[in-house]
Amino acid sequence: MDLWQLLLTLALAGSSDAFSGRETTAAILSRVSQSLLSVNPDLNTNSSKKPKFTKCRSPELETFSCHWTDAVHHGLKSPGPIQLFYTRRNPQEETQEWKECPDYVSAGENSCYFNSSFTSIWIPYCIKLTSNGGTVDEKCFSVNQIVQPDPPIALNWTLLNISLTGVHADIRVRWEAPLSADIQKGWMALEYELQYKEVNETQWKMMDPILSTSVPLYSLRVDKEYEVRVRSKQQKSENYGEFSEVLYVKLPQMNQFTCEEDFYFPWLLIIIFGISGLTVMLFVFLFSKQQRIKMLILPPVPVPKIKGIDPDLLKEGKLEEVNTILAIHDSYKPEFHSDDSWVEFIELDIEDPDEKTEGSDTDRLLSSDHEKSRSNLGVKDGDSGRTSCYEPDMLETDFNVNDIHDGTSEVVQPQRLKGEADLLCLDQKNQNNSPYHDACPAIHQPSVIQAEKNKLQPLLTDGAESTHQAAHIQLSNPSSLANIDFYAQVSDITPAGSVVLSPGQKNKAGMSQCDMHPEVVSLCQANFIMDNAYFCEADAKKCIPVTPHIKVESHTEPSFNQEDIYITTESLTTTAGRPGTAEHIPGSEMPVPDYTSIHIVQSPQGLILNATALPLPDKEFLSSCGYVSTDQLNKIMP
Amino acid sequence: MNIKRSPWKGSLLLLLVSNLLLCQSVTPLPICPGGAVRCQVTLRDLFDRAVVLSHYIHNLSSEMFSEFDKRYTQGRGFISKAINSCHTSSLATPEDKEQAQQISQKDFVSLIVSILRSWNEPLYHLVTEVRSMQEAPEAILSKAIEIEEQTKRLLEGMELILSQVHPETKENEIYSVWSGLPSLQMADEESRLFAYYNLLHCLRRDSHKIDNYLKLLKCRIIHDNNC
Repeated sequence: MDLWQLLLTLALAGSSDAFSGRETTAAILSRVSQSLLSVNPDLNTNSSKKPKFTKCRSPELETFSCHWTDAVHHGLKSPGPIQLFYTRRNPQEETQEWKECPDYVSAGENSCYFNSSFTSIWIPYCIKLTSNGGTVDEKCFSVNQIVQPDPPIALNWTLLNISLTGVHADIRVRWEAPLSADIQKGWMALEYELQYKEVNETQWKMMDPILSTSVPLYSLRVDKEYEVRVRSKQQKSENYGEFSEVLYVKLPQMNQFTCEEDFYFPWLLIIIFGISGLTVMLFVFLFSKQQRIKMLILPPVPVPKIKGIDPDLLKEGKLEEVNTILAIHDSYKPEFHSDDSWVEFIELDIEDPDEKTEGSDTDRLLSSDHEKSRSNLGVKDGDSGRTSCYEPDMLETDFNVNDIHDGTSEVVQPQRLKGEADLLCLDQKNQNNSPYHDACPAIHQPSVIQAEKNKLQPLLTDGAESTHQAAHIQLSNPSSLANIDFYAQVSDITPAGSVVLSPGQKNKAGMSQCDMHPEVVSLCQANFIMDNAYFCEADAKKCIPVTPHIKVESHTEPSFNQEDIYITTESLTTTAGRPGTAEHIPGSEMPVPDYTSIHIVQSPQGLILNATALPLPDKEFLSSCGYVSTDQLNKIMP
Repeated sequence: MNIKRSPWKGSLLLLLVSNLLLCQSVTPLPICPGGAVRCQVTLRDLFDRAVVLSHYIHNLSSEMFSEFDKRYTQGRGFISKAINSCHTSSLATPEDKEQAQQISQKDFVSLIVSILRSWNEPLYHLVTEVRSMQEAPEAILSKAIEIEEQTKRLLEGMELILSQVHPETKENEIYSVWSGLPSLQMADEESRLFAYYNLLHCLRRDSHKIDNYLKLLKCRIIHDNNC
């Protein structure tokens, strides 16, 4: 800061010089200097800092001395003498009297030496520096805290042994405690630290502190010279004393033939070559045309293969095309059932509806179409099978589902469905419980849905609601789940937005009421569309047998032949079992296959899936997206 | 520093830390079976163990003091205020080497015993007060507990040594009374902190004294001034 001011002053002076005469310059300079001086009074007397204590030290716990910085006199006035005053805070001495330093000389310049008569060990001292009557520095301490022993003396070394090759040697370094420290009487206990290095090195190597006065040094190279130094400190304190004098160690050379013992294994070279070789080999394999080797190293990831479907189509999400293709490939249907290995892996948790808190995929599909439920399905369901069926983004429904039900409720309920759950709109019963917006009178909410109801706002207005509801309820309906196909082919989408399940299935009602079959169909269809062809049977079932009033397109064939290939075995079997059973049995559980082909031709019946009207046992037949075990299937099958 | 602590947590921690600290090779002073005429343990062993204990106690108290200072009272300039107001100042302890050499063996041992006795009560209260602090610093509390424990052992050992060095000594219960408890519980934080600072400063000083005295005594009695 001072420098800066000085520069500023000079700059000002210089600039002013250009404008006016020298008299002005001098005036300015003087004014500036005065202002500067006023800011920093020291500038007047001396340009250096005030004298300060640098160090107080007791080498042997019997005397001590204090040093301070010399006051640099640059100023105009000569400085006053610097004095040191001390006081001993003794309980016996009541008054705090400042006494002057007893010895300014013995410890050198700018120091004060207290001999043993003035030194008391565990008593606090306070010292202060004064100059011209003003205190410039002050410090308080106890003597036992400022102990810094003298350096050890009489360093020497002896040779311990030399290695057989004559390249390395061990030596022992000895020293003695400083004379001032009274070790004999136990007044001081010292520990030492040794440091050594080669002569032309810059870094000292340190050893751990030791209590004894000798230490061995191992494995020194004979052909090099070493330097050794030691310092000491009191055992419990922190400060080391000064280093001793440096001891030079020059080891005797036994033989002139110093073989190079040190063989530095070329690790670096090996690593570099190894890595490059491996890289080259890897690239050769990768880019070679040898498919075999390539497959060995990088086996290809199997892409999902659907017969007749180009995976790219699926990737691009062109559902219509996929559906079309699926519709075309009716002939592939038969290949899917009967020995469909899926059947083996289908599990139906009929026994414990309570366990399933998340309802089967099928349930969810068919159940209330809040996205939440579906999305919950997708999100919450940890079951391996289920989640694959449902993707949250595909589960959007265009139902006016009240999304009040948050997740848990909805799906769970299907699980807990007990009792007969009539197909939505098939029963013409009002589903009081249906949480979903539909209150198809025919719809007979399963208890599951009842449970949901609490959470869900009953969207059902009058039961005139969607078949979807019904469908969902169907899904939740355990019985209804029985024959739900896993997949139903969506052959077309009506302008209303409802899904037409193949083959020739009637539109599933959309959001319409039960009475309005097409709507119901479209409802379901819309639902299904969302599902991107992964409908669980329940959903399909729900949608299909919605109401008896649903007009069904002319889907004649009860066979599944026209269904797409995604018809699960059960649906097929159920369908086969009840060909053309379009009607739902009121009160009976209508397992709606997830993906049954809507063969329902009987128009008054509306859309009825082939697999409907399978009387199910009383158990819940919750198929999680088509996982129906074989046993259950057998039970279900009439 | 008024922070309540869960007693369970504190006691569990105390147990753990005590175990850990005790597992450091601090061998306890042997206690001769009460009334035994001749102890199995030699004076040399007694002194060796006493020195180890006192060294350990001094290390702990130094660490405790510096931790306390760093955490609570750094920069407050208490050092200048911490004049010689330790309660053990009333005991006539030698203040330098000459004085220490002039004092007799048995007086020396008795003096050390008195100092140790004087610290029984302050250490006990220190532990209690630190433990009851709201945000009781675990490091300081554990060290305080350990110091209290080891000081008791050192006192036992020193009494043993006294009985061997000066068998005719009648039981003298000379010690300084500590009356600093009210200051540790003062409401004003500054005064309370100063009281703690003073207490810990005195503890560090006295532990250093005892350590020095014991080393002196050991060299004098065991090694005949030729350590």
